[in-house]
Order: sequence, then C-alpha cells, then structure tokens
Amino acid sequence: MAKCFALMGWSLPVIESMQKLNKSFVVVSFPDFENYAQENNIPFVPYQFDEWSDSSNSLDLKDKLEPYDVDVAVPLFEETVEWAGALNSLYRDDPKVLNRAFLFRNKAMMKRKALIGGLRVGLFEEVYNKEGVVNFMNRLNQANLQVDGEEDSWVHIKPFASAGTVGHRLLKSKADIEEKCQDDDFPCLAESHLPGKEFSCEAFVHGGKIRFLNITEYVKLGYSNFIPEGNYLHTKREKIMKEMQKLVDLFGIQYGMIHPEWFLTENDELSFGEVACRIPGGHILELCGQAYGFDALAAFVCCHDPELTEEELNELLPPLDARPKTFYGNVMIYPHKNEISRLVIPEELKEEPFFLDHNLVPPLTSQKVNSREGFGNHFGTVNFKGDDPDRMSELLLHYENVDFYH
Amino acid sequence: MQENIISKNKLESFDELFESYQSATVLTREEKAKKIVGQLDAWCGNLEGILQIYKRIPALNQVGIFKGTPWENPSRLVPQLVNGTFKSGHPNSTFELLSELRMLAIARGEIQASDNSKEEAETYLQEVLVLNLEFVFNEPQEETRLLMSEDELNKVHSLFGFISEQIQLSKVKASLVDELVLICEQRPVVTEKQRRIIALVKEKIALDPNDPADEDLLAFQRSIYRPSIGTEGKTYKEYEEYLNGLCEAQLIVEAEQMSEGMLSNGLVSSYQASLLLFLVKNKHFEVVAKCLGLNESGLAWFSEYQEFVCTLIVDVIHPNNAQCIYGLAKSLENGVLSRSAVRAGLHNLLTISLHPKVKERIIKSLGNAKGEVSPKQFLIGALLRILGQPLGVGQGNNPTCQSARGISMWSQHAPAKLIHMVHAAAVHNDLSFRFEGREIKYSESALGLVQKLDHQLDAVSVTLVPMLDKIYNEMMRRASGRGEDPHKWVNPGLYGQWIQIGFASAYDYLSNAIVDFDGFVKVFYAMCHPQYNGGHRLVYPNPVGIFITSAKGEMLGFHAISLLRVEKDPQGTIRAYFLNPNNEGRQNWGQGICPSVYGNGENHGESSLPIHEFAGRIYAFHYNNLDATAKMDEVPQNEVNKVKELAKNSWGKSYTWLEIKKQW
Repeated sequence: MAKCFALMGWSLPVIESMQKLNKSFVVVSFPDFENYAQENNIPFVPYQFDEWSDSSNSLDLKDKLEPYDVDVAVPLFEETVEWAGALNSLYRDDPKVLNRAFLFRNKAMMKRKALIGGLRVGLFEEVYNKEGVVNFMNRLNQANLQVDGEEDSWVHIKPFASAGTVGHRLLKSKADIEEKCQDDDFPCLAESHLPGKEFSCEAFVHGGKIRFLNITEYVKLGYSNFIPEGNYLHTKREKIMKEMQKLVDLFGIQYGMIHPEWFLTENDELSFGEVACRIPGGHILELCGQAYGFDALAAFVCCHDPELTEEELNELLPPLDARPKTFYGNVMIYPHKNEISRLVIPEELKEEPFFLDHNLVPPLTSQKVNSREGFGNHFGTVNFKGDDPDRMSELLLHYENVDFYH
Repeated sequence: MQENIISKNKLESFDELFESYQSATVLTREEKAKKIVGQLDAWCGNLEGILQIYKRIPALNQVGIFKGTPWENPSRLVPQLVNGTFKSGHPNSTFELLSELRMLAIARGEIQASDNSKEEAETYLQEVLVLNLEFVFNEPQEETRLLMSEDELNKVHSLFGFISEQIQLSKVKASLVDELVLICEQRPVVTEKQRRIIALVKEKIALDPNDPADEDLLAFQRSIYRPSIGTEGKTYKEYEEYLNGLCEAQLIVEAEQMSEGMLSNGLVSSYQASLLLFLVKNKHFEVVAKCLGLNESGLAWFSEYQEFVCTLIVDVIHPNNAQCIYGLAKSLENGVLSRSAVRAGLHNLLTISLHPKVKERIIKSLGNAKGEVSPKQFLIGALLRILGQPLGVGQGNNPTCQSARGISMWSQHAPAKLIHMVHAAAVHNDLSFRFEGREIKYSESALGLVQKLDHQLDAVSVTLVPMLDKIYNEMMRRASGRGEDPHKWVNPGLYGQWIQIGFASAYDYLSNAIVDFDGFVKVFYAMCHPQYNGGHRLVYPNPVGIFITSAKGEMLGFHAISLLRVEKDPQGTIRAYFLNPNNEGRQNWGQGICPSVYGNGENHGESSLPIHEFAGRIYAFHYNNLDATAKMDEVPQNEVNKVKELAKNSWGKSYTWLEIKKQW
C-alpha cells in the first residue's frame, strides 16, 4: 500500500474523501491555499505549478515531498498531469510514465497514437494560424465532395492542452473562422466534426486492467450529462468495454483512471475523441459516486497506487457488471443574457419530481457576463435524480434552454 | 401532482442531501449546505412546505446548517435586517427563512433553549412580523416589487402566513399603532390594508380598555367593529332593526359618534351605511349631514343638492359598500359635486349596464366582500371615493404609476372627463384617446406594462388601468425615437393639454449621459421654488419622473409621481408636497431621504420632502418654457450644489455626467 499520496491540485471534496478513508496524503498546490490548509490541518506543500526553472521542477518538488514519504502522485487537474507524471516516473523509475503524461497533454499527439493503434478518429491536423484552418476546411470540403453552394464541413479547433471543453470552438463556415478564431488560439488542433452520440467513459485501471467502467451519457456537450448510461447506450456496453481496453493497452496505462470521449454513430461505430487522465469536469465523478453508491474520488486516487491489494480494490469499486436503477444527471447553467441582475428559479423546476438540488447563486447586483466561446465557466449546476433515463434526457435538454438569470 | 403537498420524492431527496451533509467534514459543508438550501427553496411556495421545513429545523440546526453563516447565533440577529435579506433573493432569503423558523422553534421549545432565550425569540418574531407586514398581507412596497421575483414573494408570504398563525403580537402594540396611523393619515382609497391589520390585532391581542396603552388600538377597532354605543353587540342587520326604535336625539348621537370615528381615521363601518340609509329613507336630512360629518361648505353643497345626493346614497351605498360614505362626504366638501358636468356624469352612470368583462374585473377585485351589492354600485362607490380623495388613489401591486397618477389628476382637475372615461370603459370595455391628431384605442393597442393586473385595487382602477396602461404604452411607442424622452409628448397627450410645454430632462438621449445637471436644477427651482419663481404657486400638478433608490441610495428604477405644491412647512423649511401613487409612507430612499406623509404640513395623501432632497431624485418635469430661462439665473449655485451632491452620490453613479451647458 502507498505510504503517502501527493494530491496534485486543490480539491476539497478529494481531501475530504482521503480524510474519511484515513489514507495518508499531502496536497500540492499554489501557495494561495496555504493558510486554509494550515487552519484545517491539511498537510500541504505550496508549489508554483506554472513556473518551471532551476528552482521549480520535479526534482525539487520530489525533495520537498520527501518528508511526507510520498510514493504516488495523483493529478487532479489538467494542469498538473505532467507534474504527476514526472514524479511517478521518478517513483517508479520508469521514464515512459512521464512521456505518457505528455501524451495526455497534447491532443494531436494522443490522436496520432490512437490512429496508429487502430482506433477510429476524425481527420485532424495541427494548425498555426487562421489560414491553416481555412486550408483544413478546404481539404475537408474537397474530401466530402462539396458542390458549389453547399455548406462547409464543420471543423473544431481545440487548444492542445486545455481541459475538456475550454477553448473549444465549433466552426461551421469560413465566415465563422474569420469571426471566431483569435490570434492567441494558435497553434492548436483542428479536426473534422465527428457525428454521433457523444459519451465519456471513466475507466478505473489497475495493473493495466479496467477494474470498473463508468459510462457517462452526454445530453449536450458542455451542458449536461447523466449516469449510468441510458438504455440504448447500455446495450453497447460490451463493445465499448472492448474499445476501452484497447485504448488502455495502446496508451500503456497501468494505474489510475482515464476519461476518454467517444462518439457512437448510427451504424454502431465508435470514434475516439480525446482522452484525459485527471478528474473529469461536469461533476461526473460526483454523479458516478451517487449512482453507483461509492466514493468515486477516493477510488480515483487509490487506483494510482500500484500496491493496492485486490481486496482493497473490491472494497473501493463497484462490481464491473453493476447496473444502478436510479439515474443521476446534471445541467450546467449559463446565463442567456449579457447583463443579468437576478436569479430566478422557475416554478416548474421546484415542482419537478426529478429535481434534486442546485447550487445557483444570484449575481452581484447587476453583472455583465463574460462572453464565452468555450465552456467551463458555468454559474452553477442543477442536479436531477430519477428512475427513467429518457425523462432525464428530456429534462436536461429542456433546462439547458431555461433562463435562470434575468 | 397534488397542490400543497410536498412530494415523496422531495422528502427523499432531502434525506439524501441531509445524509450527505451530515457526513461531510468542514471542508465541503458549505457547498453541501448550498444544495440542501437549494432543495428547501423548492418547498417554500406554500404552507405545507413551510411546515415540512419547520419539522426539520431542529435537525438542521443540530447538524450546524447555520454554522459559519451570518445567522449562526440567534441572539445576535437584528429584526431590522430581515426585510432587506429577503429582498436579496435565494440563497440568502432561504437561509433567512430557515432562521425565522429556527426562532419559532426556539420560542416554542422545539429547540432546547433557556426561558430567557424563548422569550427573546418570541419578541424577535413579533418585531419581524410588524416590520414585514408587506409580506404578511402580500402587498409589497415599490422597492420590494422591483427587487423580488414573484416566486420569492410567494415564498416569503408563505413563511409569514405560517409564522403569524403561530405567534401573538402583544409586544409590538406601539409599532402597530404607528403603522395604522401612517396608513390612515394618507387616507387611501383602498382601505383593505388597515382593515387587515385591525383584524389581525383583534385576533392576536387581547386589548384592555382600562390600559391607556391600548387606547389607540381600541379606537381603530371601534371605528370598524363598534363605531357607536348603539352598535354594541349587534350585527349591522340587528342594528337596522334597532334604529327603528330610536328618537331623533338618539339618532343624532349615533350619527355624530360614527362620523367622528370616520373623520379621525378615514375608515367607515357597515353600521354607518345602515344608519345613513335609514336616515335618508326616513327623511332625517339634517341628521344625514351629521352622519356624513360635513364641514360648512360640505353642508352648504348638501343643502343645495340634497335630492341628488340622497339618490346617490340610496342607489350606491350599502353596508357592504360603506367606505364610499367617506368619499361622498369629502366630495361634497371639496365642491366637486357642485359641478353640473359631474352630477350629470354620475347621473348617467346610474343608468348604464356594465360590460361583462368589466363586471368580471370588479368582482375579482373584491376578494370576499361581495353579496347584495352590484358591480355597478361598487364602481360608482369607488368613483365617489376617488372624487372625494383624489390623493388617495394608489397603483396597488402594479407597475402602473402613470395610470394611477392620471386618475388622481383628472379627479382634481378634470373630474367630468374622468367620469366620462369610466362610463365609456365600463360600458364598452374599451377606451379611446386622441394623441397628436390620431386616435389610440385600447382594443387595438399592443401590450401594456402590466401583463397580469393585481386586482387589489378600487373598482375604478380595475376598470380603467388596464386600458390606460396600454394606451400610455402605445403613446410611448409612437413618441419614441425622437431623440428625447417620449414623456415630453406623452404627458400632455395622456393627462391633458394643461401640462406645460417645456420639458426638462436630466438625462440626454443623444449623449447617453446626464448633461448640464446644474441647469436642470435651476430650471426646476425657477419653476416651483417660491423664492426663485416670483413667489408663485403651482397651478396644476406637475408630472415628475423620479429615480427610485434603495435604502443604500442605489439606483433601482424609475417612477412617476406628481408635484402638487412647494411651500414652507410648519417649521419654516421649504418642502415639495407630492402625490406618490404607490401609497407607501414608510419609504427610505437612502442618504437620509425619507419622504414623510404626515406631521410636516401634508394634506391627507400627500408625501413631502425638503425641496433639495426631492430635487436630488428627479430626472424629468414640465415647466413654462417662456418663463423659466429668465428666472433660472437667480438660483444660487450653493443650492444647486446641495442637490447635485445628493444626486451624484446615489442614482448618479449609474450614469456618465457631462458638465457642458445646454440651452434650456
């Protein structure tokens, strides 16, 4: 069993889970959190993650963690993935662990890797400026045999190394490229639009094997998802499991959790979108824990520990074939207007039997909303719970369009 | 789903959240508390939900839901802060609601506490209740209306409904007297609020006739429940029987006692209608005048038009339509009934049949007080009230200050026009105005400001306001896009051509800024301030636009009032006396600016402020453009500066200010 976990990044729910589990840990995060950590007796090492220099690097951090006896590092956020990779490389004496971390941090690299391994991916390319995106769209149009007057093929651009949907833009035409792309978007990844139903998987991996697989059904990317997957997606579980294990093998994941996004087309084909190895956004682990009745955050952390025993694994994770009867879903709420002055919880929500809770707060007097192209800066979340996945989908779609901020 | 029942799902969801909260450590408690409170917020819309929350309060308190919040320590809470917290919306309002329920649980021993704390909790709740009568009766004030959503209002109303059923009011008698005086001194046309408070007092407090502290409250109760010795222990029907046995001298005593009560606070009891009808039918005309409590000029007009007045009484007044007796008395005294056009209009009204839609609206406005009185009687009764108390017209819980202001102005300066409008609207459920040479018809206009009229209004207002509101909006639409405030043209178009042509606005549409505020204030003082306008008095009410500001002086919105007069008050301060159609005396506009409604020389229904404080909130008014420019130079800069400072440090923060001069 691990002597001590280094939790890379500040997350109160994770800290709480670790305390409850009674595992030894130390939190590594920005110095801003030091006071709070001290007041609450949280073992803490302040570190400037965004600095890399002679005095700020993984060897130095390893030294700082030595007094705590750390032997496993766990990346909680996208930005700490390389740090954790570097530390684990040292702890396990395996340089590939770090390289693998880089793989997770470069969306072009991970796609290439997937392509090599025989996973289905869209057309993609690194682009360096607007012109590059236009050229990419042109080639895509060509490949799609565009006739004069037909719409352009859709292109997505994404920063190489941002979490989930941050900075993600969908470009539907050349005019869109002109309008939406900004100089500081580049360089980035451009890729063709993948059709199909989008979902994510959270595979808890230990010893290179998937020990528990959660499937999160996306109702709308960046807005809403629910767990466990709906009935249709559930019929594909076996197929998904196969592709997932392929991905794990291909990427050489031994310990931890991976969170890839997939697209399921109508003719039953799975396309790989991208993959991350930190805590997923959209409160997915929270929903997953509620639905399957386990502490998903604790499990996430512990799976990083190579010495975890079979018994412990069985205790931490639900069985592979578990199928909960109650579905948990959420919708992230964004204001619909540019200037908002109050929060209005609609009466229909209060009367909705599936409504569980929300954490929305009113705006500060009159607040201007930052314009948003990517996702990630939602104002709060509304949670639902119920026994009917179709009704759940319907509700999540509906509330995405309800204006909570007036 | 059944109404008023909290579903099993919700109860289960709560248990799940509560469980998760309970097992959380201090690290995530705040986030989880937010969720519980978010779920409980969904329960608050009705009494059943409040009761369910109340049942869970001891447990919530036990696990520390208030810990680390401003509500942590009950003994440190201040009743005066409750109202503002409710206005700030969820989650604060939900925590506040939980805090009130915890107080109740402490007062009733559901949460362990010392006797002392129980006592304190009871006192706290009583004070909170009196400070929040607007929520108890669901009659929100202007600021509240602007700030709170309908759901939030409903939630707080449910809470106060629950609490007021559980506690007494014995410790807040003095505040209740203040509240009643404050309302009654304004002599509102609609008297439901004071009646409800008096009823609440009757239900909640055992008053002691021998205790001088109870005297004021007893006097209010008497004016409704026992306005004379003869009414003691009788229903108004029994009282009608009883009157048959009285001699004229006894009738005079009854009449005098009743009119005295009516004149002292403007409230009329059912008994007084019984008495008045009895006197008219039995031709005791001299006693009729006493029963109306008429002053000398009222008496003179009564003698002149006795037959007409008695017809009105017989046709309109009924024990269930008694309040208009006060209006009738006042319309005799102010001479409005002496105008032949008014009498003709009223005579015609007695003969019409109401449009079914209008009937519907009137009936809806009555709440429970129906029976034996026709909608037409209510309509004419309300008209009498408005003619007698032009400054008592209110907008109720509606954003229709423009329409209320209009009804009040017409009542004073164009009463026959008002009656004619009521007539047309009541018969056709339609209304037509001439605006800049073209016709605007209610039935052909698009939406108004008010989508769902709150019917706690008088019968004239429920008849006219929906129409006036739409017509006003249509006028605004036609006059917009001219680079200036449309009110410049709409005010004279709506209210009447006696509105002055000159229109001053602090806000400049083209530059989107406050331009030449100095000049604006100078024109204002030159228009109305007797020291600078040549000692003149205002002739007609001036429709003035004001900024509504919060108790902190923050800009909240716009409001329509009319400036009635500017004069020295009894202390020698120059004050602006104005009509605020929102009928609310206890307002706080921030910076220490609190309009008063009595005690500073106000007539019933007027609000007042020292002139510079008033000027510090206005943004538009009318003036005589041939006159003012010559006088404005005489207004000293230090007077202007006083106003400007108030303006700049309150609503002015929401605007850009340009100091360039402009031509007025």
